[in-house]
Amino acid sequence: MSPQAEKTTKGGYEQYAPVFAELAALDPDDPARTEVRDRLVTGHLPVAKHIARRFANRGENQEDLTQVATLGLINAVDRFDPERGVDFLSFAVPTIMGEVRRHFRDTSWAVRVPRRLKEMHLSISAAVGELSQRMGRAPTPSEIATHLGVSREEVFEGLEATNAYRSASLDDMLLGENDGVSLGDALGEEDEGMADVERRESLQPLLERLPERERTIVVLRFFGNMTQTQIADRVGISQMHVSRLLSRTLAKLRDALDEE
Amino acid sequence: MTVSPSEPAMAEQTLAPAPIEVRVNANAAHLSVVRAVAADLAMREDFDLDSIADLKLAVDEACSTLIDVALPGAALSCRFSPTAGRVVVDVSVLSAEPHEPKRDTFGWRVLSTLADDVTASTTPTDDGKHLVRIELSKAGGAVFQA
Repeated sequence: MSPQAEKTTKGGYEQYAPVFAELAALDPDDPARTEVRDRLVTGHLPVAKHIARRFANRGENQEDLTQVATLGLINAVDRFDPERGVDFLSFAVPTIMGEVRRHFRDTSWAVRVPRRLKEMHLSISAAVGELSQRMGRAPTPSEIATHLGVSREEVFEGLEATNAYRSASLDDMLLGENDGVSLGDALGEEDEGMADVERRESLQPLLERLPERERTIVVLRFFGNMTQTQIADRVGISQMHVSRLLSRTLAKLRDALDEE
Repeated sequence: MTVSPSEPAMAEQTLAPAPIEVRVNANAAHLSVVRAVAADLAMREDFDLDSIADLKLAVDEACSTLIDVALPGAALSCRFSPTAGRVVVDVSVLSAEPHEPKRDTFGWRVLSTLADDVTASTTPTDDGKHLVRIELSKAGGAVFQA
């Protein structure tokens, strides 16, 4: 790499080189790893945001893109090997770009949806996020319509179009371990609810086997008495996404419980 | 599959709008239609998005529970009665046994968390079968409770 290119890509992140060495020196089971790893991820967040912005205006929700880029960054931090003599950014940038490109490849409309509806879907998801923040609860179709200055019928169409949207890489994305609620913690608070569920012996192992985020969502909704909007806020994804994940996870649990 | 406003018992029955009935083969492949009708009705009652999503999940759960006990080839009947800020859903199916859904299962917990009210019953029919039914009701959310 030419000295000039090195200067522009590094842009002040050299300070983290010793931190990577520190991380690599820690034992995989060392509890101190979490803190060091978090420091590296947080420190490099502007890189992920920058890359996400480069893919703006391609019809994807900007927050979702930032989330995907951040996932790429976390992967890069976890896989980076300082011993190999390459600096972190040279390794991380292609990894993050790859993650965002994969998101574009995996995310698509399941059926052909007119451009107008795709745009309405984006406006609605942005409006839902904003209104939920402001009101502390999910908005109604009329509230969305008023906020966007469109008719209720247009909002209905946009909400229906949401059913034709799939977002595979986001749905399958795993959260860092600290972002979830451990089953023990959540059930500890809600043990009373769990007690009247017969066959909790069979339910519990099934819950344990779910990916952490799906488990968190199910436990918070059905044993923690939280609304989908509250869960979305807590887990850091959209309400529509919580809704899709709940629906899929309940179907999975039903199948598994039926087999017993 | 049929989707039709059920015949009102009396022509002058104007206070409550006629319920909407969807009949499909008791098969999980048809659930998306039932879900879509539930979501559309809740949307038009101006439920908030949480309540729309919860109603869809509740209808999914209730129908799946009944599909599990349905006689082969039986029809699943789903009657929706939307009234001011509330949707009442009545699903039923013919079964060989009086399989009343159990209240101490995870499925029942899901139903009772998602809906405001849920009841289940089973009634013997004249030809020795059993009509298993789940009725649930859901209001549109915080806006309607204010």
